[in-house]
Amino acid sequence: MSLNTIDAQLLTKMFLAGAQNLEAKKEWINELNVFPVPDGDTGTNMSLTIMSAAREVTKLIDDDMETLAKAISSGSLRGARGNSGVILSQLFRGFCKVIRDHQKIDIEILTSALEKAVETAYKAVMKPKEGTILTVAREAAVKARDLQKNGASDMGAFLDEVIRHADFVLSQTPDMLPVLKQAGVVDSGGQGLMVIAKGAYDAFLGKELDFSLGEVTSGSSVDMKLDPQAAADIKYGYCTEFIILLNKTFNIKHEMDFKAYLESIGDSIVVVADDDIVKVHVHTNDPGMAIQRALMYGALSNMKIDNMRLEHQEKLFKMSQSSQKKEEKTQTPTSRPAVTELKETGFISVAAGEGMEEIFRGLGVDFVISGGQTMNPSTEDMLNAIEQVAAKNIFIFPNNKNIILAADQAKRMTKDKKIIVIPSKTIPQGITAIINYIPDLGIEENESIMLDEMKNVGTGQITYAVRDTDIDGRAIKQGDYIGLGDSGILAVGSGMEETALAMAEAMMEEEKELISIYYGADVKEKDAEALADKIRERYSGCDVELQYGGQPVYYYIVSVE
Amino acid sequence: MKKTAVMTDSNSGITQTEAAELGVTVLPMPFLLDGEVYYEDINLTRDDFYRRLEEGMSISTSQPEPETVIETYRKLLEDHEEVVHIPMSSGLSGSCQTAYMLAREFEGRVQVVDNQRISITQRHSVLDALTLAEAGKSALEIRTILEADKFNATIYIYMDTLYYLKKGGRITPAAAALGTILKIKPVLTIQGEKLDSFAKARTLQQGKKLMVTALKKDIDTRLGGIGGTENVRISIAYSESREIALAWQQELASEFPGCEIGIEPLSLSVACHIGPGGLGFACSANLKAM
Repeated sequence: MSLNTIDAQLLTKMFLAGAQNLEAKKEWINELNVFPVPDGDTGTNMSLTIMSAAREVTKLIDDDMETLAKAISSGSLRGARGNSGVILSQLFRGFCKVIRDHQKIDIEILTSALEKAVETAYKAVMKPKEGTILTVAREAAVKARDLQKNGASDMGAFLDEVIRHADFVLSQTPDMLPVLKQAGVVDSGGQGLMVIAKGAYDAFLGKELDFSLGEVTSGSSVDMKLDPQAAADIKYGYCTEFIILLNKTFNIKHEMDFKAYLESIGDSIVVVADDDIVKVHVHTNDPGMAIQRALMYGALSNMKIDNMRLEHQEKLFKMSQSSQKKEEKTQTPTSRPAVTELKETGFISVAAGEGMEEIFRGLGVDFVISGGQTMNPSTEDMLNAIEQVAAKNIFIFPNNKNIILAADQAKRMTKDKKIIVIPSKTIPQGITAIINYIPDLGIEENESIMLDEMKNVGTGQITYAVRDTDIDGRAIKQGDYIGLGDSGILAVGSGMEETALAMAEAMMEEEKELISIYYGADVKEKDAEALADKIRERYSGCDVELQYGGQPVYYYIVSVE
Repeated sequence: MKKTAVMTDSNSGITQTEAAELGVTVLPMPFLLDGEVYYEDINLTRDDFYRRLEEGMSISTSQPEPETVIETYRKLLEDHEEVVHIPMSSGLSGSCQTAYMLAREFEGRVQVVDNQRISITQRHSVLDALTLAEAGKSALEIRTILEADKFNATIYIYMDTLYYLKKGGRITPAAAALGTILKIKPVLTIQGEKLDSFAKARTLQQGKKLMVTALKKDIDTRLGGIGGTENVRISIAYSESREIALAWQQELASEFPGCEIGIEPLSLSVACHIGPGGLGFACSANLKAM
């Protein structure tokens, strides 16, 4: 086989295969996340990003490079979540800028596209770090240019070498980032990129993959037409999905055997094998048989079985409801004056937990986007919020370092309103910034006051370790409580209260006047009150304020100012 | 017979003792404490007042009785040709309106100044009036000068709590925007007749910083620049704790070089709404005419 160009049809297959591969392996990538706190969401974020693009791509009717490039670029941009997701979307955007002008992509064009991708992604990150997805992408582009200059002509061999080199670079990331080395893992974002590349390469080679998207985890509404009669036509009633955690070898022969078996009991089969996991998706009338068979290869996880015949009915019902809603929506403008008065300034904040949302609303925030650690809102969520807030100037408070990029991206994509992203990394920083807003002053003055004031608030957050590790010279055991400060771990302990007290001790400085404690969804009110009392006793010169935040992930969020 | 008598009310923060020294007349503001009438600085001391306020006693303010006002005018006119009366801001109380009405009986011999001052800035106006009177200005001339000067002042008030403002029912536009479950220490501002919310703080330190920044900006943009004590008068007003004000005065020396920063007690009728932990910061421009 000597295929030397890629056309739109093939690229579509490759892109969807890459997306599918990432979706299947996102949990595994999540686990590579280095910090021992439950924020492993790189895989999820990248997957949500690429799946948003995949949805755009599956909607296309023509195999035309320009429309394909547009679908990938805008779909991933809108769905971008988390830092890794935003970087991924930028890689795609750069890549698409080059390919959109060519109906057939040869090695030279592909190389230029990779270079453009890297250039665009580097620009999107304020302080690019080496040893990450950026390094992997850049080195892949460098290798591609090398090969191209040396006269590479076979596309398959070219892709193979580029991927192998990128894999090697990925394996070196622990030597570039100490934090990776300490945890003994490679960079999760880089790994995600490789998973996409390998899926795409398999599709290039013509390996069979089911390109249907299966179940998209975000549950976003995919535009599809449902035939009311079709329920009766569903041949296999249960959508069955699981992952096999392999405990013996699973080679090509096993894979083919397993697939053949699944074909005998159902259809819509996806079997994606990796070194130690196999992602399985099948529509069948007897899920038990698929499960029985899979148990031969290892233990099962992430099992999900849906009755599609029932779901079909529900979908029909929902569709009729949502079309009704759409009608209502389109009618509202006529019953209301078309021009809504824009107020001068509006506020958007990201927060998780009902208490937190209430606090931000109480401070005058117009729109609270539900999200935070482990659930980073996408650029699209930001754009929706921006659309909802009728103001000429809108301040956005991301309140998490992994959400700042998505906010910045939304800012770049908004033309009709002025967006000011205040790069708040924690909830208390966001609260302090908003409190310091002064209506009488201009936007720039307020921005600089907020940035200044955020420096005066220290944040500490109590969570737990998801596995044993060693960070900053501290041995941490799975299940330990960890007190995270603004720049590293402040306390570790086996008791929640004791860890919170030690963390507060580490945060206190002279001239601090106020300690605020926001307790999370998993903390009892009386335990929180007991902690607040102890802190009051210890720091009698300070006001201590206890609030219900209801946030997930963090038992306590504590601030001193 | 002397020419022009200067008269004000106890909202100016001028005590009866100080009034005697300065040669002004200060109408005491009446208070209702659990239904009984007391007069500021007459039979109600500051210590008493704060003690009762913190005990949660129901305290409300009212205007000086018309009869007392007329009586005071009459008495002053016995040995003065005219009276210039500087009551608290018409935006915050009906006292000014009442005085204006009562003054009409005296065919121009009593001039009521409606220059929307309160507390420290009202005090500044009284001092200006005294200087103008000594310079031989008539009551009408003094009134005209002071009214033309009314916006050359600015006031910021740090509130330790919104409790007293809510209790007194004075919360309307000012604090409606501050309804929140967090304990916010609002900074309010008085510009002209309006009492409004200016900004929010969570600690005294933040509140002080906000007020300093705001005051500096007002001085630079509307009050003719800092220019030392010849140009502006800056004062701190405290409610219960003079110590907090003294400490702040020290901190402020480097912020406003060349300026003397005065410290005055907040009048009780204002403190009644602000509470014991409040702090005021105000500035007024010196009269150009003098």
